[in-house]
Amino acid sequence: MTATKTTLGVLAAGAALTLTATACGSGDTAASEDGLTPVSVGVLPITAVAPLYLGVEQGFFSERGLDVTIETGGGGATTVPRVVSGELDFAFGNLASLIIAREQGLPLTVVANGMTTTGDADTDYSALVVPADSDVTDPADLDGATVAIDNLNNIGDTSVRNSVRVAGGDPTDLDFIELAFPDMPGALDNGQVDAAWVVEPFLTVALQQGATQIAGNFVDLHPELSIATYFTSDELIAQDPDTVDAFTEAMNESLAYAEDNPEETTQILTAYTEIDPDLFDQLRWPRFPARIDTEAVQTLAELMAADGIIDADPDLETLIR
Amino acid sequence: MTATLQRPQPGRFAPRRPVLSRSAPNRPLLGSLGIIGLLALWEIAPRLGAVPERYFPPVSEVLTTLAQRATTAPFWEAIGHTLYGWALGLAIALAAAILIGFALGATPRLRAFTTSTVDFLRPIPSVALIPLAVLMYGTDIRSTLLLVVYACFWLIYIQVLYGVADVDPVAEQTARSYGLGRLARIRYVVWPTTLPYLMTGLRLAAAVGLILSITAQLIIGSPGIGAQITNAQQGGAVALVYAWIVATGILGVVINIGVRALERRVLRWHTSVRGEVAV
Repeated sequence: MTATKTTLGVLAAGAALTLTATACGSGDTAASEDGLTPVSVGVLPITAVAPLYLGVEQGFFSERGLDVTIETGGGGATTVPRVVSGELDFAFGNLASLIIAREQGLPLTVVANGMTTTGDADTDYSALVVPADSDVTDPADLDGATVAIDNLNNIGDTSVRNSVRVAGGDPTDLDFIELAFPDMPGALDNGQVDAAWVVEPFLTVALQQGATQIAGNFVDLHPELSIATYFTSDELIAQDPDTVDAFTEAMNESLAYAEDNPEETTQILTAYTEIDPDLFDQLRWPRFPARIDTEAVQTLAELMAADGIIDADPDLETLIR
Repeated sequence: MTATLQRPQPGRFAPRRPVLSRSAPNRPLLGSLGIIGLLALWEIAPRLGAVPERYFPPVSEVLTTLAQRATTAPFWEAIGHTLYGWALGLAIALAAAILIGFALGATPRLRAFTTSTVDFLRPIPSVALIPLAVLMYGTDIRSTLLLVVYACFWLIYIQVLYGVADVDPVAEQTARSYGLGRLARIRYVVWPTTLPYLMTGLRLAAAVGLILSITAQLIIGSPGIGAQITNAQQGGAVALVYAWIVATGILGVVINIGVRALERRVLRWHTSVRGEVAV
């Protein structure tokens, strides 16, 4: 009997030991010492989130009572569940992912714009490119080609198919493969793919190595397309609408500031990215308007429905707050 | 204690040093020659164009980048985060494995009762727990700990079970007949038998723990070396990516040397370390 008792005691102690490391919940929204409400924002360390860093630095968030913690971990695959679970308050994600998430019934709502295409293929920060020695000069020639995108069934394949269609080609035989953006210039270089959809800074890297741009896939989709946005959970909106309002206002001011101060926007990159400073001058940027063009969102959703990524007639009424 | 000498060498799973390594005095020399050869190959291959220099910079460039970074505070912060997650995770796994291993190992019925459960849980790769870790703790250090503890625990726990089961019945009976109590038998009979197994488990877990500590940071984005690698990748800073990878390798070597030194110290009485006793 004693033996069993000791064993149980030891077991309990062991379990307790492993559990202490896992206890203490998250998502506490109590005000910090200086009276600010702590909010966490999940982003990727990419150029497109420069306005957020700039806004925090300029004090646009603290002026509105928010103490922002920026967490640069993982992409949409981890930020979406973290926002749903309330472990992150806000996150940056592409619009297509959010349309899909809503379609699946996830309670997420867009609260601010993230970035918008420039509407000009020659300056947009995203493009469809082919290797230096390629005979392809037009998206219509891509019939049957292997195209690298960063995520299947998302904004990449939808916009590339659209660009092929716009150019008069047939996108049905396109062979999409998933590659991380950092790996795309290399894959183009050694001929692993016939074309790639790349965004900055890898667009500049690819172009410097002789890759040729054949389309601006976001521009082709809609000249006012919001590509990524900041979103939150419906639960936070219901519980603490003031904090969400404050975030939206601060984010809008940050976007406007970034548009007005391109120099500072470029400089803030050194604070959170490892982009080679030599590339800074050549990097292409998106635009940062505060407004989200609903007609463009509708166009994107219709294309996604046509591709079968979401059901037809998605409900976009409640997507944007 | 004659019984101890007669039983088969404990630590079938413990490191058995090959005869060569003990008799070859030039082991450090051979080791450094190997590294120099590797570095030379790494320097030449990109320069000759065997691999594109743009995506695989020569070692001189990588080491320069590493040296520059090593003078900055964020570099050591990242190393510190990684080591902290590794050490804490390993310590928790070690403590839990010793406690549970000794308890269950000493109770055959309980051990039989749990074997199938252990065999079911053990092969689950730690990285499969990443979605769970992310949901529960986000990018917190606790995410890293969950992965490290889970992977390391089984490695040590299984070794402890083997060790406890390897106790020589004659020694055990002798200790009993000399009137040694339960705790004394654990201290003087079970513990010395188990220690070589335990150290093997610890050595394996030390390496695996480092790998998982960095994997968690790479995929989840918890602060540390892994997150720095992701950041460098996202910025297209290729040389920096490799600089961090080299730093990881160096860290691995340092940890391995440390654990081996600890092993030699803890097991200096043991035949596998003493060496001169032929078994």
